[in-house]
Amino acid sequence: MKQVEEFLIGRIWLRNFVPFPKELVDRAIQIGAISVSLGITKEKQCVRCLEKSSQKIVSFFCAACQKTCFYCRHCIKMGRISSCTELITWAHPSTIPLQNHSFSWNGQLTPQQERASQQVQKSLLQKNDHLVYAVCGAGKTELLFPAIFVALKKGQRVCIAAPRTDVVLELTPRLRAVFPQTTIHSLYGDSPEETGFAQLVVATTHQLYRFSNAFDVMLVDEADAFPYSYDEALKRAVLKAKKKEASIVYVSATPSSHLLKQIDGVSKLFKRFHGYPLPVPAFQSLWRYEKEFAKGKIPEKLKEWVDERIEKKEPFLLFFPTIELIEEAIVLFKKTHPMIEAVHSQDVNRKEKVMKLRQSQIPGVLTSTILERGITIPNVQVAVVGADQPIFNAAALIQISGRVGRSRDYPDGKIIFFHNGITRQMDKAKKMITSYNGGQ
Amino acid sequence: MNCYLCDRKISLQVTWRSLFFNEPDDVCCSRCRNGFEQVAAGCPICSAEGEGKCFNCVQWEATEYEGLIDSGTSLYRYNPSMKEYLHRYKFLQDVILSEVFASVLKEELQGQKSVIVPIPMNDEKLKLRTFSQVDRLLDAASIPYTHLLGKNRVALGEKSKAERIELQNVFWWNEKRVPEKILLFDDLYTTGSTVRMAAKVLKDKGAKEIKILTLIRA
Repeated sequence: MKQVEEFLIGRIWLRNFVPFPKELVDRAIQIGAISVSLGITKEKQCVRCLEKSSQKIVSFFCAACQKTCFYCRHCIKMGRISSCTELITWAHPSTIPLQNHSFSWNGQLTPQQERASQQVQKSLLQKNDHLVYAVCGAGKTELLFPAIFVALKKGQRVCIAAPRTDVVLELTPRLRAVFPQTTIHSLYGDSPEETGFAQLVVATTHQLYRFSNAFDVMLVDEADAFPYSYDEALKRAVLKAKKKEASIVYVSATPSSHLLKQIDGVSKLFKRFHGYPLPVPAFQSLWRYEKEFAKGKIPEKLKEWVDERIEKKEPFLLFFPTIELIEEAIVLFKKTHPMIEAVHSQDVNRKEKVMKLRQSQIPGVLTSTILERGITIPNVQVAVVGADQPIFNAAALIQISGRVGRSRDYPDGKIIFFHNGITRQMDKAKKMITSYNGGQ
Repeated sequence: MNCYLCDRKISLQVTWRSLFFNEPDDVCCSRCRNGFEQVAAGCPICSAEGEGKCFNCVQWEATEYEGLIDSGTSLYRYNPSMKEYLHRYKFLQDVILSEVFASVLKEELQGQKSVIVPIPMNDEKLKLRTFSQVDRLLDAASIPYTHLLGKNRVALGEKSKAERIELQNVFWWNEKRVPEKILLFDDLYTTGSTVRMAAKVLKDKGAKEIKILTLIRA
């Protein structure tokens, strides 16, 4: 029963998919240690992901119960939830004993980081929400370490939620090194099964659907990132996963004005940890680039830029507005440089390709906005094709620019916005980056 | 509307045709649609690639299943996009995805003279999956059909072809009147044993001509 508690406490799980014998689960239900609820409420809301739009909660004739049932398309990849699906959660109070934790980090916080770190701890103590507004490469993760350690020692359960798998994958090994005694679970789509009770959970915001009333401290990394900012369901999931009185620490380089207004405690860090300024984007016209690609030609200026990167052996990221344009362009680029790769959200080999770029096995990558954040490659050079397209709003452009010059060894680098006309969002991104460099 | 498959917004394509004919909007975007590969030509029974009757179907003709199937078609190849689709439809139980091939099936089956008979599931499997993926494909296309068969509880999945042939009594006749001309419909054609076992029962009960249609040729 101990194992069932460790697994199920704070979680909400499909009854038929728990990794325990049916008899054990049945007995726990009988004695009231596990509570059961149906998957879709009468108001047609999914109990796991809280989705309720009629596009995502759809009806069908269910052969199991011989009547019309509803199911949720939003979280279907985690196992389908329908009106007759049973969800279970641990109902008894926790009997999990206090665990030992150690903190093994010998890095040094800059005075700015130190100040923000103290402010985060103070907000947590006072049970207030907090926002860390820090530019890309300010060292946001490190400044959270002390607060995490304090919470763990108190026996609190801590969650770090990030919008993308790529970010979770980069964060997990760092946390495991810093908290070597702590059981840490790393959760994302298709992550390997973890056992035991984890006091520290690193998860994609999607995986939070599977938690309920679980966390005493909730850290939301890249709080503005797609899909988090777009997706109401994910916002609700953050609220559902944490305990009622638990506070949320938002971390973002590009917080929305809404978030800035909503939260009283804000720490600002406009300097990178290595002290060098943020690279400021340069605008370069690339007239009628879509027509050029459609004609089977790489626009001349772009071709020169890529050739130069390859000649200088500088790794590069080339951002595109649509998957369709990436697919058109990659064929053309591969003609002259067969080692160049393309990645986008629908690409199953994304992880491997980014790894290859890191290890200098390939010269560069054409990408959608999927790689706009959370990725650090020393000496990487970046350009955006079609920076005037609506998908590249100021926040996205700032994040993309933030990929450049992150490492101490290569603190500068170039970021170019190739465009078919300068937009307000491009101007805004450039202005904000310049203002960060000028201090407050 | 968002694409049923990739969940990205479908951009409205206004054409002269769409202005004058009230055609239903496609439920998936053109990029996802183009990921499926339609069968251009192939075996006259199972649509396997190549010219003329395929090796597999020729082999069947040397067994007691000889001559059971008069002709047949499969509509799509089992490429990565189709594998992903079938996984989501059947195993993730995303029932609404039955609509993805509605217009294709409608075009293929409208005005069909033969009685359309879907390959059934056994009752236990049906309860577990909560829907019959074969029936729902036809329902989505508004194609009428008649069930003439029931299925026993044996899983074909793990059986080799030789073992499958051994399993004589997978299907049973449900005692409804059997018409002379039948079109058997299934989602996936793999070894061809399912449709042949079904066809055998129906020909024993008086069917004269049996055609087959499957959505996918594996």
